[in-house]
Amino acid sequence: MTALDGLSSIFPSTRLVRDAAFQAAYESDGLTAFRTKPLAVVIPESSEEVIAVVRWCHDKGVPFVARGSGTSLSGGSLPVADGIVIALNRLDKILELNPAERIAVVQPGVVNQHVSTAAAPHGLVYCPDPSSQSICTIGGNVAFNSGGVHCLKYGMTSNHVIGLRAVLANGEVVTLGGRSVESVGPDYTGLFCGSEGLFGIALEVTLRLLPRPEMFHTVLVGYNSLQAAGDAVSAIIDAGLLPGALEIMDALAIEAAEAAVACGYPPGAAAVLIVELEGPRETIECEREQLDEVLAKTHPTAQRAAADEADRLFIWKGRKSAFSAVGRLSPDFLVQDGVVPRKRLGEALVRIEQLSREAGIRVANVFHAGDGNLHPLIMFDGKEAGALVRAEELASKLLRLCIEMGGSITGEHGVGMEKRDFLPEMFDEPTVAMMDRVRHAFDPKLIANPGKMFPGKEAPALSAIGLHPLEKAGVISRE
Amino acid sequence: MNDALLVPAHVNELKRMLANEKRLLPVGNRTKPPLSEHEPSTLISLRSLAGIIEYEPSEFTFTAYAGTPLAELRLALAEKRQYLPFDPMLVEAGATIGGTVAAGLSGPGRYRYGGIRDFLLGVRFMSSDGQLMTAGGKVVKNAAGFDIPKFFVGSMGRFGVLTELTFKVFPKPSATQTLRIVCDSRLQALARLSTSASSRWELDAIDYSFDEQALVLRLAGPPRACALIASEIRNTWGEDVSDLAASDAFWQSVGELSWSSSGQTAVKVPTTPQQLFDLNDSLALDEGIHLHGSAAGNVAWILLDTGEGLSALDRQLQALQMPGLVIRGPCDRPRLGTWKSWEVERTIQAAMDPPRKFPRWMHTAEHLPT
Repeated sequence: MTALDGLSSIFPSTRLVRDAAFQAAYESDGLTAFRTKPLAVVIPESSEEVIAVVRWCHDKGVPFVARGSGTSLSGGSLPVADGIVIALNRLDKILELNPAERIAVVQPGVVNQHVSTAAAPHGLVYCPDPSSQSICTIGGNVAFNSGGVHCLKYGMTSNHVIGLRAVLANGEVVTLGGRSVESVGPDYTGLFCGSEGLFGIALEVTLRLLPRPEMFHTVLVGYNSLQAAGDAVSAIIDAGLLPGALEIMDALAIEAAEAAVACGYPPGAAAVLIVELEGPRETIECEREQLDEVLAKTHPTAQRAAADEADRLFIWKGRKSAFSAVGRLSPDFLVQDGVVPRKRLGEALVRIEQLSREAGIRVANVFHAGDGNLHPLIMFDGKEAGALVRAEELASKLLRLCIEMGGSITGEHGVGMEKRDFLPEMFDEPTVAMMDRVRHAFDPKLIANPGKMFPGKEAPALSAIGLHPLEKAGVISRE
Repeated sequence: MNDALLVPAHVNELKRMLANEKRLLPVGNRTKPPLSEHEPSTLISLRSLAGIIEYEPSEFTFTAYAGTPLAELRLALAEKRQYLPFDPMLVEAGATIGGTVAAGLSGPGRYRYGGIRDFLLGVRFMSSDGQLMTAGGKVVKNAAGFDIPKFFVGSMGRFGVLTELTFKVFPKPSATQTLRIVCDSRLQALARLSTSASSRWELDAIDYSFDEQALVLRLAGPPRACALIASEIRNTWGEDVSDLAASDAFWQSVGELSWSSSGQTAVKVPTTPQQLFDLNDSLALDEGIHLHGSAAGNVAWILLDTGEGLSALDRQLQALQMPGLVIRGPCDRPRLGTWKSWEVERTIQAAMDPPRKFPRWMHTAEHLPT
């Protein structure tokens, strides 16, 4: 361990951990299929310590992986065997919450939901809401440009980050963007968001806050086919409505959710659609009439609107629990988050069903219908020989389907470790080469989160299977 | 002034031109000359590479060539009752969509749903060594690869020649209504601005006119809802509130940077609400400088009657440690005030432009310590 000796001048032994049992907690993330033990885990308590450790890594050429709560679904915070993990959970301060400017300045280890909790007394909200929002951190959200159910209307994390202070992989400390939503010069803040930890580590993040919508109008609609639910989404969009959320679940996902949380979804429905309008009450009163008129023409088998906030959360409970619920139907599953153009959703679902049948593998579907973001859950039993490989083969076919349909291999989980081999399928060679040059500009020694996003043999990991323990407990879900 | 102007008619011609030129800058319709004409380069105008390539109203997306005039896009979207919610600027002046991305300009509507950076989904561009690249995507949600499209916003042509752009669009609200609220002091103006921006009303635009000392609020949505919310605003601030007559002309004058007929020089300064008012106070003694605040105090648009006023503005911005960008007017000094600059910018510039054909004025700024 002499390679790490210099680190002990930065960190006391309690925060420079080489203990195998402790390290086991860091060897994987939300993508449990891969595991790697790092050389050590360091736990900084200040920006200065993060800067010091990144500069040390740069000097010594030691790879590092920054980590928040480890909820990445693409293996984005998977450690590298010859590197260290920088755990940022103790940088968890909201440094400033400014209601007059409607911004929050936070450290990377702040939990997503804590921002909205702190903003709530001022009537403000931090909009991006990945389903792991109760534990995932802003640093990870920034690195992977996390999404959620409100992306069509409000965009992803990068649309809500207006400034950053970061230590780059080359050791330079930079301040990008600022406190205004406007800027002059190239949008470095936008480039940093979604860079999957390959550029460096955000130390302070300036977030844009929005007024919390005054009223929500949430409608649960049952259909006798997925096609009918998909058509309803088109009808809503074509009517000029802009719902905050448009979610669809198929029969298998409904069955799982019903078994898990008894969410009272329409019995026998082949698909359910959740539509949520939000805004000032005067606007919602007009738009709900319009929505009712549109839905009446879509041949729903059942329809009900949330009577109050508790009922609204009850409707959402089924949707939010769908993924952990699928764990009841199958010992293991993979989830993809490819995107197709919305008009091709129906076609994509037919193809998924076909591929699922051909492979003899069950697939449940839950998706953000407003933005064409699929979440096929590919079920398998890891104890069965070759099952994981077959599930992965099916997953690959689904990703290729998304590319072929003009969509994307990932809507919100990022490329990470999981989909790195598909980057060159989505982008041509000159484009990947350009991105690689940009990466080298930030990280000439390729020490920041190696093995992610770009294809190749960098940072191999062991394969493993099984549901994440927090997923089994229903704390996080893969959406 | 750069007189040499090449106008490729198609991508292959663009490629030939790139191969032949040693120092070049892409431009659109040259509505923002200071961004491209302050140092010698061959200008390549994309104005002939124009037109909508695909528009899917039900997808909320379109793809257009970089040289497409904003006016053409606005018309095509309006036919399907859709729009670019950030109120693209300089539409009447003839600006193109590519030039608007490169300049990073968003109008008053950026307050509600975000600016041009938030609606740009994908780009196709030719690198200075003649390779055509595609980054981002054509769907409204995408997290694959680096967000190169955002990086082009505000890049002023220094990273590549944009050829095609894909945008997200939204349904156009069925009605808008504009209210003017006069304010008797800076304190009152700031308080009302903050109240408006945090309120349940979900306003569509929040501007502040220093010429009129009035907050200007735009509501958008179903007409009945707009009327009810407007009535609540009237009740909140009483006689200070009035309906803005000729509101379309007002918003257009902001978007065209023409609210003061004498102000031919135009400057953009990102601000916080406090900085917006500080800046106005600090310029109060300078004649011929007209400020307008947009996006709930997040940007100052400044019109100057003469080029000389730029020196005074430059000094003030330096004193306040703020950057400014000259959008229209004298071409010798596009960057005012204090711009931050980092070492990594040089290596990124080299990564985007290996043969070093684009001028590098991004790196001439004062280097500030971290």
